[in-house]
Amino acid sequence: MSHQRVHDRTMSTSADSTSSLKIMSSRGRKAASTVAGLSALTLLAGCATDAPQDTWKPAGANAQKIQDLQWPVFLTAGIVGVIVMVFIAVCVVKFRDRGQPIPDQAHGKAWLEYLFIAIPAVILAAIAIPTVGVVMALNDTDDTECVINVTGQQWWWEYDYEVGADGTICGYAPSEVSASPIITSGQLVIPADTKVLLRGTSRDVIHSYWIPRLNGKRDMVPGRVHFLRLESDTPGIYAGQCTEFCGLSHANMRMETVVLEPADFQKWLDNELEPYQAPAEGSLAAEGETTFIAQCSRCHQVNGLVDPNNGNLVVSYPDQFVYSGAAPNLTNLMGRNTFAGATWDLLTPECRADVWEANPEEFGDKYLAGVSQDCLNEIDLREWLRNAPAKKPMYADPALLEQSDGKVRGMPYLGLSEDQIDQLIAYLLERK
Amino acid sequence: MFTTGSKLLFGASGASLVGTLLYGILVGGIMGTVGLVSLTAGLIFLAGINAFIRDANVAADEVAQFSGSAAAAPRPASSVWPIGVAVGGVLIALGVVIHAVLTVIGLVVVLAAAAEWLLQGWAEGASSDESHNREVRGRLAYTAEMPVAAAIGLGLIIFMFSRVMLGVPTKSSTIIAFSIVATIVLFGGAMISRARSMSAPKMFGLFSIVSVVLLAGGAVAGLNGEREIEEHHTTAHYAELDKCGEEEISADEHASQTVAGKANSSAEVTLDENGLSFTRPGLNDPQTGVIQLPRSNANNILFRNETSEPRRFIAELAEVEGSPARICTALVEEGGVQLLTINYAAPSFDPAVEESGGYAFVVAGLDDRIEVVVP
Amino acid sequence: MAIIERPSDEVEVVDQSTPSEATPETSYGVFRRPVETTGWKSWLFTIDHKKLGIMYGVVAMFFFVVGGIEAMLIRLQLAGPNGTVLSADKYNQMFTMHATTMVFLFVMPMAAAFANYFVPLQIGARDVAFPRINAFGFWAFLFGGLFLNTSWFLGGGADGGWFMYAPNSSVAFSPSNGVDFWGLGLQITGIASLTGAINLIVTVINMRAPGMSLMKMPIFTWMVLVVQFLLLFAIPVITVALFMLMFQRSFDATFFSVEAGADPLLWQHLFWIFGHPEVYILVLPSFGIVSEILPVFSKKPLFGYPLIVFSGAAIGFVGWGVWAHHMFASGLGPISVAAFSVATMAIAIPTGVKIVNWTLTMWGGKIKFTVPMLYAVGVIVQFTIGGLSGVTHSVAPSDTQQTDTYYIVAHFHYVIFGGAVLGLFAGMYYWWPKMFGKMLNERLGRVNFWLTIIGMNLTFGPMHIIGLQGQPRRMYQWTENRAGDGFFNIGFWNLVASVGSFVLALGVLLFFVNIYVSHRKGTEKAPLDPWDARSLEWITTSPPKEHNFDRLPQVGHLDEFFHRKYEDRGADGHHEFHQVATAEEVVAEEENNADAHIHLPSPSYWPILLAFSLPIMAYGVIYNLFLLLGGAVLALVSFYGWGLEPHTAPEEDYDPPTGTSMEVAAHG
Repeated sequence: MSHQRVHDRTMSTSADSTSSLKIMSSRGRKAASTVAGLSALTLLAGCATDAPQDTWKPAGANAQKIQDLQWPVFLTAGIVGVIVMVFIAVCVVKFRDRGQPIPDQAHGKAWLEYLFIAIPAVILAAIAIPTVGVVMALNDTDDTECVINVTGQQWWWEYDYEVGADGTICGYAPSEVSASPIITSGQLVIPADTKVLLRGTSRDVIHSYWIPRLNGKRDMVPGRVHFLRLESDTPGIYAGQCTEFCGLSHANMRMETVVLEPADFQKWLDNELEPYQAPAEGSLAAEGETTFIAQCSRCHQVNGLVDPNNGNLVVSYPDQFVYSGAAPNLTNLMGRNTFAGATWDLLTPECRADVWEANPEEFGDKYLAGVSQDCLNEIDLREWLRNAPAKKPMYADPALLEQSDGKVRGMPYLGLSEDQIDQLIAYLLERK
Repeated sequence: MFTTGSKLLFGASGASLVGTLLYGILVGGIMGTVGLVSLTAGLIFLAGINAFIRDANVAADEVAQFSGSAAAAPRPASSVWPIGVAVGGVLIALGVVIHAVLTVIGLVVVLAAAAEWLLQGWAEGASSDESHNREVRGRLAYTAEMPVAAAIGLGLIIFMFSRVMLGVPTKSSTIIAFSIVATIVLFGGAMISRARSMSAPKMFGLFSIVSVVLLAGGAVAGLNGEREIEEHHTTAHYAELDKCGEEEISADEHASQTVAGKANSSAEVTLDENGLSFTRPGLNDPQTGVIQLPRSNANNILFRNETSEPRRFIAELAEVEGSPARICTALVEEGGVQLLTINYAAPSFDPAVEESGGYAFVVAGLDDRIEVVVP
Repeated sequence: MAIIERPSDEVEVVDQSTPSEATPETSYGVFRRPVETTGWKSWLFTIDHKKLGIMYGVVAMFFFVVGGIEAMLIRLQLAGPNGTVLSADKYNQMFTMHATTMVFLFVMPMAAAFANYFVPLQIGARDVAFPRINAFGFWAFLFGGLFLNTSWFLGGGADGGWFMYAPNSSVAFSPSNGVDFWGLGLQITGIASLTGAINLIVTVINMRAPGMSLMKMPIFTWMVLVVQFLLLFAIPVITVALFMLMFQRSFDATFFSVEAGADPLLWQHLFWIFGHPEVYILVLPSFGIVSEILPVFSKKPLFGYPLIVFSGAAIGFVGWGVWAHHMFASGLGPISVAAFSVATMAIAIPTGVKIVNWTLTMWGGKIKFTVPMLYAVGVIVQFTIGGLSGVTHSVAPSDTQQTDTYYIVAHFHYVIFGGAVLGLFAGMYYWWPKMFGKMLNERLGRVNFWLTIIGMNLTFGPMHIIGLQGQPRRMYQWTENRAGDGFFNIGFWNLVASVGSFVLALGVLLFFVNIYVSHRKGTEKAPLDPWDARSLEWITTSPPKEHNFDRLPQVGHLDEFFHRKYEDRGADGHHEFHQVATAEEVVAEEENNADAHIHLPSPSYWPILLAFSLPIMAYGVIYNLFLLLGGAVLALVSFYGWGLEPHTAPEEDYDPPTGTSMEVAAHG
């Protein structure tokens, strides 16, 4: 509703500015013309389609509050801009030297000066009051319905879902087992129409969590806990990107928030908490399990994984190898459809488009299907397994890491053979 | 080229260098060596200055022109430097009896006073023009005097001010006292700035008064001693020795007092008559039972004791990856707050953690317990 | 230290009775004074504010080119998806150094160039208050800038962004020496700025021509004065922060280590308490230049001069209370965010006052569109856009959507390029004939202007769109799947911005071509008063003599020069201005009444030597503490050499001796 309104207003503004643009260009070369055109474009940017991180396309209550606040400000700024430009244009045209006498050497008119202090002061006061209101509203956390801890790390995000005092996760009780914390990365899955509170921090440097269509950004600072509210009523995937410069691979630190209908969220929850299922004996995936334990499990945890050789639970201790102290939990890797800081897709482009462009009713099923053999984007995944630092710039060469106690930041080169990669992919495909 | 004065000083430097070497080789001993090295360095410095300013003899080339001028028959002005050298000499002597530091100070005073003396003597004979003489003395001396004076002055101000601050009995009286002082300074400054100009003696007088007040205040406060200041002891290895019991010890090395940590806690654990509960920023209702904390992350946990007994807060860890079995705060008095920074390296489902009883927050001497879940 | 004598009305009688040899001007230094007035030595050891001003300008333009090349590489990398021109590491270094270079090594020193050259001329003084400190400031800036850029050859430049947030700046996260070079280099240029600030404040307050009260001071000088006060208070803050950074990285301190209980937000507060006034430090000198140019070419005094002065000062004050608007997303808490949001809106008022008064200056004028005037109008237009986009993110919730995206990049480039840099170009075209005695070619200048304007709008205009479409800053690559495919898709507009940057570069290149063309053999000498100017710097020859003015001008009006040339012959509230004197006549009048004794200080070796010791010490901190000691010894020696040196070189240092030393320096 209000989005429509924005659309109308901005269109009319652009009409204003294009007409003024015409007047000016007809009268000659004016610096203002380019400028007025551009400011019109700027205003129009709000109506763009299809950019996943469009800041003018709210899909939730929090982002909507920001939107309702910002479009009148943009509009006002645009109008003021056009007025100033027109005024300058008039000056430039009207008072060009045509041999008129030297003007009076007066230094100004007091009333005019006060007037031009008063006008912006009034406009700004009018902007300031609602601003303060929205700032307060966005920081209100009293009616939280779901708490998820978010931890940033170079260069990915980890999510752990809290089990509430009532034994539920975000108000949903698992169907078959008792609730235990869920830990994922890359894609944050939240139920629709739920006031979610992210409690964020960081393990190394400052990162910033930002899903433009759901809320503004919030820095996640090591040693501090910061909050961000997310809420959406429309199922779908909402893209985001770390926006606080966080070192080498800042550009490759992304995140997505997945909004699911309550029933779908319940399914997702049950799936996450399902006990570990070992691959069938003798299968390629079973070889992959062995390889995984040998090569990957020092850092990457798969919950419930038991070493078939000795029957011990496999627990990873990434602190010993990774400077920031953690690596993504891969228990349900193929249940999400991105990897490596949500930068690459586990789905082939066609399958990805199918999920992303699904309408809200079908979205849940398509997302929950996870990654199938046919849809697996093997190209990127294989490149990653072959030589991760070559694909995503990371500080992963232990020989060069005197300054960080010899620990890597990011996934190092493991020297896996093609056979081992085949086995691992087969094994990972079952992790969903 | 070299005048008598330079030759003398260079000679003395050489002799003292030889003496230093001989002493160092034959006798040894730190104080003696330091003293002789300082003496040598000082003499070389003096000789250098002397040579640099061409031993002060402007008329070296044109004796004839100057023999008749006023400069040839200088009127020596009064000088403070002989006293300086004498005081330095006495300090050296006293140092031999009382403490070697006095000797070193005496040596510095003697050398400094001698340098000034030398400079003054030279400057007075530089030319017949007294103002010119003052200027050349200043140009030479100020480059050394100003930085030294500034350093000493700043040091004194900082030291005295800190004594006064520490001497004021309470925090609130500190605030009041300095509000009054600030008001006086502001008011005085405003009054001064209203005047179109101010004579040098007046300025000098004002600064003198302020300096005297500061010095006197510092001295009085210093003699009175500091107010009682709460100290936070950090005692290492109690955790390793499994000593997080009820006995009185100061604190654990993990117990931090940093303001930043206190301002940014992951959770605040409170002990009151109902037992242990916790609140977390963003979730204001007190909770009991189970707390979930992220792995491999510095979690700041505040402990607040609302009971009348002094209590110690303990985080039960597991002995995995070389971490201690438990870490704890010092005994916390009623209403007191202390902080622990905890980094869990292993998830709580790790069998090693489960075997050791799992992660938990407890208070020494009570059965109450908050389970910690690390995913 | 300043020994530029004020002329006295009494004729000095040299007392012949005392033998002059009795007060010899002995040189106590180990060197003969460098007294050459031509050749490289006359530049290297000069303490003449005009030569230093020109050198500031030349070096700043050099760094402008360096920073520009860095910008071009950035735009090349981002022209298409998954750019491969630069590696991630090189890209991070590139944008860090681009910002650092443009802010600290181009805009600030370029403003310093104009301040150095024109503040003494505008206030009718013969030099700045502390000429040798002035020289030291320039060399410290140059050596600091070069030191900073040597990091490219010694393991790579700084890679933490110009804001260098902790803890990403600590050794574990930035293992190369780049950040060390950055921190120490900025310390050195900071020393330069600080000494310059003190120097200019003392100069403006103490050395104005007789009759020039503060409210008759040219507006450019006023804005420079405000900037110097901002520097005086802002530089110490960044110095403290940089010291902490240095100790954190080089000496294992833990100011920003979370494990040790520190709060990394400390750095952000320190940085932005410096960083926000820095914005005004960058832009106010240009506002001054624009406020000089508009009245000249509108033939009208500046509209609301007192208001512009006070709004400049108000910006200077309020600028200290808005730093946290750079931190709206950093988790400050709602009360602080709301307060800083409102304070930020408040600062838009004095800024708006300037824009309104500029346009009202043109209103009712007799406007001549020369190149400097084009640039000045360009500033008003472009800066207005930057200012308005600034208002949109003074709204804190809106800012949480826009901060760290290209929308902010667009905003501050409109402010800094549109406000500061265009203003500096205006100044160059306006004052070129004064500084070098040659006019810059007007026709080429127009092409230069239009290319620059088109280029800048093509480059930075689309960034508004890219930013609102959600592309964050400081990403070495953008990818198709986040670009969208509508009219506002990120891919197309990134390409437009990259193309625009080349247009802009072409525009800047034309400026250099213009310099070459205008200084070829046979180009005419510039007229004495090509613009029919209004302020004191034009009441002397072009370029000015070493002692600036033959007679210190007596000031009766704000626009003194204008009122010497024109007279109001109207009556009864009716004004009618007629030219009563040409510029040549006004200047000749001054020359005919030249002051008898003009003392100027002699050049000196010590400022450059002292400045040279600074990078040596800085290398010492990074590589070897013994080098630090060596640098410190050089600093100490230069410091004492400086102190021991008389202001004016003694006769025997001239070769051949040229009579009385007093007059030599002035006329030589």
